[in-house]
Amino acid sequence: MSDQSSTAPQSRLAKALDSDFVYSFRRSPVAVVSFIVVMLLVLSAVFAPLIAPHDPFDPGSLDLMNGFTAPMAPNDFTGDVFWLGTDDQGRDVFSTILYGMRVSLFVGLAAVSFAMVLGITLGLVAGYVGGWVETLIMRAADVQLTFPSILVAMLIFGIAKGVIPIQHHDQMAIWVLIIAIGLSDWVQFARVVRGATLVEKDKEYVQAARMMGRGRGIIMLRHILPNVLSPVLVIATISLALAIIAEATLSFLGVGAPPTQPSLGTLIRIGQDFLFSGEWWIILFPSATLLALALSVNLLGDWLRDALNPRLQ
Amino acid sequence: MKHLVSAAVLAAVCAAPVAAEEFKWAGTTDPQTMDPHAVNSAPVLGFLNNVYEGLVRRGKDMSIEPALATSWEPIGEGEGWRFHLREGVTFHDGSTFDAEDVLFSYERASNEVSDTRSWFAPVSEVKIVDSKTVDIMTSAPNPIFPDSIANWMIVDKGWAEANNAALPDKENGNYATLNANGTGAFMVTEREPDLRTQLKPFDGWWGEATHNITVAEFTPIQNSATAVAALLSGEVDMINPVPIQDAQRLQGQDGVQVIQGIEARVIMLGFAQEADVLKYGADAGKPNPFQDARVREAVSKAVNVDAILKTIMRGNAEPASQLVSPAMRGYSAANMDRPTYDPEGAKALLAEAGYADGFAFGLKCPNNRYLNDEAVCQAVTAMLAKVGISAQLDAMPVSNYWPELRADNFDMYLLGWSPGTFDAEHPIRFLAHTPNSEKKLGSWNFGGYSNAKIDEMLPMIQSEIDDGKRQMMLDESAAILQAETAYVPMYVQPLVWGARDNVSLTQRPDNFFILRWVSLQ
Amino acid sequence: MLTYVLKRVLQSALVLLVVGLVAFSMFQFVGDPIDNMLGQERTDADIARLRTELGLDQPFPVQYYKFLENAVQGDFGVSYRQGRPVAEILVERAPATLELAAVSGFLAISIGIGLGVLTAIRKDGFLANAIMSLSLIGVSLPTFLIGILLIYLFSVELGWLPAFGRGDVVHIGWWSTGLLTGSGLKAIILPAITLGLYQMTLIMRLVRSEMLEVLRQDYVRFARARGLKDRTVNFRHALKNTLVPVITVTGLQLGSIIAFAIITETVFQWPGVGLLFINAVQFVDIPVMAAYLMLISVMFVGINLIVDLLYFAIDPRLRTDGKGAH
Repeated sequence: MSDQSSTAPQSRLAKALDSDFVYSFRRSPVAVVSFIVVMLLVLSAVFAPLIAPHDPFDPGSLDLMNGFTAPMAPNDFTGDVFWLGTDDQGRDVFSTILYGMRVSLFVGLAAVSFAMVLGITLGLVAGYVGGWVETLIMRAADVQLTFPSILVAMLIFGIAKGVIPIQHHDQMAIWVLIIAIGLSDWVQFARVVRGATLVEKDKEYVQAARMMGRGRGIIMLRHILPNVLSPVLVIATISLALAIIAEATLSFLGVGAPPTQPSLGTLIRIGQDFLFSGEWWIILFPSATLLALALSVNLLGDWLRDALNPRLQ
Repeated sequence: MKHLVSAAVLAAVCAAPVAAEEFKWAGTTDPQTMDPHAVNSAPVLGFLNNVYEGLVRRGKDMSIEPALATSWEPIGEGEGWRFHLREGVTFHDGSTFDAEDVLFSYERASNEVSDTRSWFAPVSEVKIVDSKTVDIMTSAPNPIFPDSIANWMIVDKGWAEANNAALPDKENGNYATLNANGTGAFMVTEREPDLRTQLKPFDGWWGEATHNITVAEFTPIQNSATAVAALLSGEVDMINPVPIQDAQRLQGQDGVQVIQGIEARVIMLGFAQEADVLKYGADAGKPNPFQDARVREAVSKAVNVDAILKTIMRGNAEPASQLVSPAMRGYSAANMDRPTYDPEGAKALLAEAGYADGFAFGLKCPNNRYLNDEAVCQAVTAMLAKVGISAQLDAMPVSNYWPELRADNFDMYLLGWSPGTFDAEHPIRFLAHTPNSEKKLGSWNFGGYSNAKIDEMLPMIQSEIDDGKRQMMLDESAAILQAETAYVPMYVQPLVWGARDNVSLTQRPDNFFILRWVSLQ
Repeated sequence: MLTYVLKRVLQSALVLLVVGLVAFSMFQFVGDPIDNMLGQERTDADIARLRTELGLDQPFPVQYYKFLENAVQGDFGVSYRQGRPVAEILVERAPATLELAAVSGFLAISIGIGLGVLTAIRKDGFLANAIMSLSLIGVSLPTFLIGILLIYLFSVELGWLPAFGRGDVVHIGWWSTGLLTGSGLKAIILPAITLGLYQMTLIMRLVRSEMLEVLRQDYVRFARARGLKDRTVNFRHALKNTLVPVITVTGLQLGSIIAFAIITETVFQWPGVGLLFINAVQFVDIPVMAAYLMLISVMFVGINLIVDLLYFAIDPRLRTDGKGAH
């Protein structure tokens, strides 16, 4: 959503990180609060094994009779009490959210990194080299946009199933998700970077570098890349929120994280089955966590866009 | 004809109650064809039972009762069966029903391209005696033949031939895919595949109508939460199924009732028994422990079926001890006890078999085939972990699941089986007999369980006319399967339907929804 | 000019070919349609026979070639699930998706532009900030969850709006419309909101940033300095200049509305092509999947082509360039 307003990268990242940037951050209560929320969530995900009262990924520790325990109420059969209740398998919802957030964040960050590396590389090459290479890359982008990410996920899942030895299929799901989401996101980066590269490559400093006999790779990496980083940063932030949501959607459609190692999206999919039956906590808490995470990342991205866009200051 | 801005629309706009005789119901799958011989699946046969009829039909208690045949008797010493056809029956288009239609329907339904062909495997010939009498000859005595053809529906010869639908065409479709012409109590008046199918009572039906429906409309709704919402808001009068977890809550809502019963389907765990090595998990490549009956028995003791039924099934299902439910013919009452939950005993058995430290393997599971299938597999994984064997769960949609099973890609798997004949012989034929593609036996015995005694008894069971002797052999088979833990039967899947309060209906264990038993107040 | 157009059209055709190839290679991984087409009493011989009849025993390049050969003649084959020509099914289902896309697109544009202008004019006002932050909630929840929550609230709890389907439809020729009946109008509200929410946020934010940009331009300042009313400046001058990029982006977004209708249609049981596609995936109905993907590709590639050609017409400097920068 940001490639429209931030295509012209007039600010350097270095400049962005100077005191103006920090000042603008401290002036914005929304940014500060979002940042705190994101940090809190990330830290509790990272330290989940230390914080969580149970290990929901260890099937041997689960007691099915603990299933469907309401928050803060003792279970009918076992008498155990759980802060946020349990799900259908007797898993502690609080612990499962912490562990699920790890999965979601990992998938999100890895997918965005993958998309970013791929998109920047292809965008730079397309913009700088031009010609048939550019045509090829940009038409590949068209093909990519054509495929809804669920299809990409299924395609990769199928290929992976054929290629990877069957013993490793269960760890595969996460990587399939990462590649699928990453693949559906790179186009944004590539288009913005290409647009910016087209603008930059005719500027005097690039021409000067070229005159000095520097190689294409060096020029792209050392001279052009730094100039396109601020829009990339904005897209990356917003893509992170999108990737986390995309993971949830794919899990809803049944091609997401496995239920034995659920992500937030898988938890919501499971919880959806219990929306009418009265076990509201199974869907509410993971949804609220997902909302808090995605919303604060989005708010940060929003602020970042304004802060990095000198025309709006 | 399709201008539907009618009184019903105005009624809906004004939020007035819908006319009482209009009945709307929803299910998860649209019957994919209107051809009764093209697809042998419950959604199709269940729906078409309202439109087409067979020589016999099943009553409210699943018993066989006369339909297009008024009576039947065995011929000689089991050479076949003679059916006496009902007089004065007409098809929806007005043509008369007679023996020609029966012969035609036999030829149509037993053709190579028909999915219902296997029903007629015992049949050697169908002979017309006169226009109201038909002899169906079998190659061996077949005591349960009338039971096995309750879903064999009779099609009008003239209609099918006139419309180029003399044979079903599953691949390309034909006239009979979209249109129906049966003798049943209802006729299809509008058909928009996947969207809606409208039925109206057939005035010329031979039976006496006990329903008071004037128009019935079926809509497929895949998302069960959406279906529940539609029932609660009164947009539909009946849904099938109600997600198990919603049954209790729905029961407490005003204006809605929940109808519960037991389906014919037994949910069980199966093992790779032919495979020499494990295929999944940390121990992949090591010798396959499931070849040892003690390990299989340990699994059956480690799975706490009661806990699954209490939580995941919310107390709506019955435990199962054998491959068929008690409602089926030939159920073995002598073997009605299932192994008790005994984790210590399971550990002891594992130790005895040389697996005191447990092992790791792969469990395959569908995630959209049976009620809460994925959750059940998760629970099984947790329970097995408690006795030290660690299952790596791989759950997938059913369109990927069967190919995986056929390719032997499993160490253990989940299977549900509903005997099409409602007889205990059926699962022995498909699940317990040694796989033999030539004889078409054991075709769903993915794990390759094999026992010479079972193989020997199957043909004897199939041709035994004496009920007592037959039952003895069924009891013996059930005992063998139990003793060797060929499978771990867990529970009989529940049936949960939801309806508005003003609807009275009958739920049958085969999950068929019969419109002529519906009445609206 | 002509060479450029020709080149671009050729490229688009190539893109379509590649899409088809990728799609076809994918189908063998989605699952096996055979099990869905045969009952539980099928034999191995039945499986082999059906596979041969459907041509599934052929290598996939052969299957693809056959598909292409028929597709260029307008024949997309017969659905495995429904046993009817795919083209017929698509024509039957298309109006539902197009109507849903149009209504949600309309909602997204009208509300998006309105709120975008509001938040730009009152740049630092409390209301504008609140709208900006709240609008992010809409893009911070997965679409399916929003749909389910809307159903829960408006259908189950309040009982105001239907939970599924299109309501009653009127047939005008081959087109079916739900927009002419009361129940049809009621039925489209929730799905349209669910589907349009994301685009609405997008348009609102785009309008806001473009508007802020324009408001800083000299001619707007002059206009103000000349003493023109705020209203005149904001709407006559600023908004008008904002609209060009907005229209471009909206055009591109219309394609993705249709593509992403899949999820909304699944949640609301909306009988459009998206639901058809999801059903086809579950059943492994290869002819339907192939036709749907080709249709979506044609649409996307077409929109891209038109946008590129328009840019070319407007700005001849962009010889080989198109999207992205404007």
